[in-house]
Amino acid sequence: MSLKQQRIFWALLFGAMILAAFIVPFLPPLRDLSSVYGAFLFWNAFALVVIICLGIITARWRDDDGR
Amino acid sequence: MDANTIYLALFLYFIVGSIIARQARRKLGSGVNDFFLAGRALGGVIAALTYSATTYSAFMLVGLAGFTYIGGVGALGFELIYLSGLILVAFFGPRFWLVGNRYNYLTPTEMLGDRYESRAVSIVSAVAAVIFLIPYSAVQLIGIGALLEGISGGAIPYIAGVSVAAVIAVYWTWTGGLKAVAWTDSLQAAVMLTVAVLSVIFIAYRAFDGFGGMFAQLEAQYPQWLTVPGPGFFNVNAFVGLTLPWFFFSLSNPQVSQRLFMPGSLGQMRIMVMGFLVFGFIYTLVSIMWGFSARLLLPDLEVADSATPVLLSMNIVPGIVALLVMLGISAAAISTVNSIILSLSSMVCRDVFKNISREIDEERELLIGRIFVPLFTVFILGFATLRLDLIAALSVASSAGLLVMVPALIGAFFWRRGTAAGVLSSVIVGGLTAMVLQYSGWRPLDLWPGVWSGIVAVTLFIGVSLLTLPPEKKAEEFLGFLNRELNRRKVI
Repeated sequence: MSLKQQRIFWALLFGAMILAAFIVPFLPPLRDLSSVYGAFLFWNAFALVVIICLGIITARWRDDDGR
Repeated sequence: MDANTIYLALFLYFIVGSIIARQARRKLGSGVNDFFLAGRALGGVIAALTYSATTYSAFMLVGLAGFTYIGGVGALGFELIYLSGLILVAFFGPRFWLVGNRYNYLTPTEMLGDRYESRAVSIVSAVAAVIFLIPYSAVQLIGIGALLEGISGGAIPYIAGVSVAAVIAVYWTWTGGLKAVAWTDSLQAAVMLTVAVLSVIFIAYRAFDGFGGMFAQLEAQYPQWLTVPGPGFFNVNAFVGLTLPWFFFSLSNPQVSQRLFMPGSLGQMRIMVMGFLVFGFIYTLVSIMWGFSARLLLPDLEVADSATPVLLSMNIVPGIVALLVMLGISAAAISTVNSIILSLSSMVCRDVFKNISREIDEERELLIGRIFVPLFTVFILGFATLRLDLIAALSVASSAGLLVMVPALIGAFFWRRGTAAGVLSSVIVGGLTAMVLQYSGWRPLDLWPGVWSGIVAVTLFIGVSLLTLPPEKKAEEFLGFLNRELNRRKVI
C-alpha cells in the first residue's frame, strides 16, 4: 500500500472506531447490559485497540539514521 | 489529617523537586529554544512523562472520580475517547516536529502565523490561548486549595494551599524552564501513577475483597452505573458535548501541542506517544475505580467532587498512602499549571512582543518570556483567590474555546486554500461563541457550547477562506517540504 492509501485506510478505520465509541454503548444490547461485560468492557477494548493501532503506525516512522 | 504533617510532606516534596530542577538548569543552554523547548532534544521517556503530567491534571482523581460517582461508566467512555484523541498525534505529531525543526517554530501559534503569512493570526491565537488557559490554570490551584483545606479539616486555609502550589510551580519553572518542568513533571507523573494505583488496590482489597467484589457489589446495588445514559448524567447530548472538545485536546491545547516540537527524534516521539497512552489508560482506570468505590462506600455525598477527599479521610486507606495520594493530586495540578505558565510565556514573547517589535533580539526575547513566568503565576493566583463562579464557567469553556484553533491547525497541514482571514474569523467568533454560550447557559437545540464553537469555527474557516486569497507560495513551500519528508520517513 502506498503512503496515500495507508493514510486513507487509517483515517477511515479510526473514524469508524471513534464513531462506534460514541454510539455503540448507547444502543442495545450494551445500553441494557448492567454488567462489567457491557459498556465498561467495550470502552476498554476500544482503547486497547487504539493503542495497538498507534503502536503499528508509529513503528513505521523512520529517522535520518534509518532507525 | 494533621496540618503539620501535610506541610512537612509538601515541604519535602518541594525540596526534592527543587533539587531536580536545579540539576536540570545545569544542563540548560542559553537560548529561547533551550528555555522553552529543552533545546528540541527531549528523550522519549521524559517526554512521555511530562506529556502525561501536563495532560492529566487534578481533574482526574477529583473531577473524573466525581463524574463516575454521579454518572457511572459514561465517565470511562468520556475519558477513553479523550485518550484516543492521540490518534491525531499519529497524523499531526511528525508534521509539527518536522516543520518545527525546519522553521525553528517556538509555539504552535507562531507556526499558524507563518503558515498563513499573518502576524495577526499569531497574536490573536496567542491571546485566545491566554484567555482560555488562565481560568483553567486557576481551577487547578483552586483544586489544591480545596483539597488541602478539606483533608486538614480546615486547619490549612484555602489561601495557604493555593499559595503553596503557586510558589512551587513558579519556582521550578523559573529555575530551569522546560527542562526543569520536564524533569520535575517526570517525578510528579511517577508519584501520580504510583500512589493512584496503590490507593485503589488498598480500597479494592480492604473494602470489597478485590476488584471482582467491587464490580459484583456495583452490579447488585447500582446496576445503572454500568450503562449509559445510566443514572442520567451522561445522556447523549451531555456525552457528546463533554467529549468532543476533549477529543481534540492534543491539538487544541498549546501547552500540549507545543510538546510535539520537543522530542529529539521521531523515535523519541514514538516513545512519548506510546508511553503516554499506557500511562493514560492505567490512570483513567484507576480514577474510574476510585469513583465507583466512592459510590459504594459513600452513597449520600451532596457534592460529587468531594468523593476523593472524603474517601481519603476514611480508615480504608492507610494514612501514609492517603498523604501520598494528596501529594499525587497536588503534583497533577502543579505539573499542569507550570506547563501552561511556560507555554503562555513563550507565546507572549514570541507571538505578541516579537510580532509587535521585530527588533527584539533573542536575549531580550528570553528575558521577556522569563518575566512573564512570575507575572502569569501572580495573575493565576489572583484568579484562584477570587473563587468566582465566572472562573468555573470560563474553565469549562476552555476546552470549547480552544477547540476553535483546530480547523486552522488541520488546514495548515491539509488544505492549501486556508487563509489568514479564515483563521481570524474562526478563532475570534468561535471563541466568543464558546464564552457566551458557556456563561449564559444557553444551549440552542440542546447542543453544548463545545459543539457549537466547533461548528462555528469550521464553517467560518472554510467559508471565509473560500472568499479570500490564500498564501499560495507559502502553502506550496510548506506542504511541499512536508510531503517530501513524510514520504522519506514513511509517516502517514
